[in-house]
Amino acid sequence: MEQIRVYEPHKQLKQGIKIWKEMFQELFEFRGLIWRLFMRDLSSKYKQSILGNAWSVLMPFVAIGTFMYLSHTGILDIGNTQMPYPLYALIGLSVWQIFSIGLNSGANSLVGAGDLITKINFPREVLVIASMAQSVFEFLIKFIMILIFCFIFHFHPSLKIILLPLVLLPIVFLTVGLSLILSLLNGVMRDIGNIVSLLLMFLMFLTPVLYPVPTKHFLFFQLNLLSPLVSTPRELIAFGHIRHPGHFMVASVLSVLIFLVSWRVFHLAETKIPERV
Amino acid sequence: MSNTVVQCEAVSKKFSKSLKKSMLYGAWDIAGSTFGVMPDSNRLRPDEFWAIENVSFELKRGESFGIIGPNGSGKTTLLKMLNGIFMPDKGRITIAGKMGALIQVGAGFHPMLSGRENIYINGAILGMSKKEIDGKFDSIVDFADIGDFLESPVKFYSSGMYVRLGFAIAVHCRPDILLIDEILAVGDLKFQSKCLKFITNNILKNGCSVIFVSHNRYAVEDVCGQVLYLKKGKPVQIGKTLDVIDRYLTDIKNEENEGQKLINGFANEEIVKVELLDKSSQVRSQFKTGEELRIRFHYAFSHPIQNPSIGITFNHDDPRYTLVSSTDYIFNLHSGYDEFEVKTLQGRGYFEVTIDCLYLPVGIYQYSVYLYTDNKMNLARKYEAAGQVEVLWTDNRPHRSLIELPHRWTRTEEGVG
Repeated sequence: MEQIRVYEPHKQLKQGIKIWKEMFQELFEFRGLIWRLFMRDLSSKYKQSILGNAWSVLMPFVAIGTFMYLSHTGILDIGNTQMPYPLYALIGLSVWQIFSIGLNSGANSLVGAGDLITKINFPREVLVIASMAQSVFEFLIKFIMILIFCFIFHFHPSLKIILLPLVLLPIVFLTVGLSLILSLLNGVMRDIGNIVSLLLMFLMFLTPVLYPVPTKHFLFFQLNLLSPLVSTPRELIAFGHIRHPGHFMVASVLSVLIFLVSWRVFHLAETKIPERV
Repeated sequence: MSNTVVQCEAVSKKFSKSLKKSMLYGAWDIAGSTFGVMPDSNRLRPDEFWAIENVSFELKRGESFGIIGPNGSGKTTLLKMLNGIFMPDKGRITIAGKMGALIQVGAGFHPMLSGRENIYINGAILGMSKKEIDGKFDSIVDFADIGDFLESPVKFYSSGMYVRLGFAIAVHCRPDILLIDEILAVGDLKFQSKCLKFITNNILKNGCSVIFVSHNRYAVEDVCGQVLYLKKGKPVQIGKTLDVIDRYLTDIKNEENEGQKLINGFANEEIVKVELLDKSSQVRSQFKTGEELRIRFHYAFSHPIQNPSIGITFNHDDPRYTLVSSTDYIFNLHSGYDEFEVKTLQGRGYFEVTIDCLYLPVGIYQYSVYLYTDNKMNLARKYEAAGQVEVLWTDNRPHRSLIELPHRWTRTEEGVG
């Protein structure tokens, strides 16, 4: 089979709707590379550290410990979580970190790849998705911790826990979508990487990760797209039902839309990036 | 489907000199293309320049194409466009077949991972499946010749091992077109000649086309059938390898001569000039192999010097030639060792040495001149890279060999039947 490629200015703009087919095809063709890059990052990340993968579990405990201390001393009133707080916080934080770790590494994935971008031709989406896979993998480790916690606190999770991958999908789409756009911008303006880390910190406190959704300022939490995406998986694990399915649906649809639009923009712009990185 | 694998039609590419502007234009272009506006790529915005201008060529299956030119002439930019890393701003490139690129070997190697792991990752980046790599793994390791280092992190590799591994992976992914940037220069001479042989004997023979960028004119001569000479992004000449290389070398020589006026090649005192003459005492800088060459050393001494002797060494500008000898030069002449003795020297005059038949490998030779006093014990003066001479091949011999030796044929009959 002979594959013929044409490189000319504004090629992508001339293709119209056909470009979607090309995008999916490319991604499918390079699925092996995503896996390789994921394995590469995984095995190289902790090669020079003694604690290895334990680091990804250790981090949440620091945050949870701090909140437990603040709540215990009465500085902070966390409210009723309807389940042991450490477990509540661990689930919330684990789901949140799919987003935060994914976005952080995703936004830096193009810039961090360096030579790879400027010297070799392959779909750059692969880099963003591989860094997302990293974040999902870390969630799996934390998920084991969640199960251990359930056991320690004699808490019986709902059987609907098997639906967990489904309700986590929207937050993954959202993260990849935003990462695609941010990694592009980061290629052009390096400020983006720093801005992302800063914003993520604020966002975490504005999202019901370590505390339940307050009843007072409910509208604000309704507008925060991440709020239902983080609480829903937790409600599913704990109680087996979703409190605000409407919000969750809207947030999910929006996430997928953000992903599709971002991917399209990314595909248009990716040839501009090697010139600037 | 015709046999053309690469077609480059009036391709141009612009870059910005200013980093800030480049980022601004980048953001602007991305924003523009998001909303479906096609930016006008024919126009140069402030601080932009054409890095590649109006380059056209065609490459057929199994052919090899060289790109030469001074640094910054756009060779790598052109390769990156052929590889689809950059999009041209004007013109069109059509590629038929799988492209393999060695723009920088080891791009994508992860320093912390072992050679084994990196082979799989790099192979995947170059579009190979795990099964394919499994099948070729031994062959890759064998070619790269990295020995015990296979399981060590590549950050412990020498730069030569790095290049060898990168090259081995790239040639094993069986591309239809292979782009090779000036990368072999990093490997040692043994590996360089191995690669060049591999390119001519395996890659090209298997119907793969090669686009080759190198500063080593001999490598280009060996590998390429056609050459493009780029200068400041513009194509100067495209055509038969030897013609284009000649043009390139003439350009370099002319530029050097312009600069040389400023440098004091020879001092007014001592050896003032070196001339190369042919049989009829004409000063020349090009000689055919087998011709007579006379080297004349003009001297001027205001004070007498005792027991002087003169030496001259010739270096070939292809470093591979010096590999065959333990010295740094192809050959040398020394009046002292030839027992050509002069007691004292004063005033003006010249030494002359005659080489009856200049049977040297074809190429450009740089020569350095040495002046000794006190019976070749004391190096008084050294004139490094004093000049150069080019040895050309005799016209009537279609097949080039490394050197020609004086010879004659005879025939003797020993009876009939």
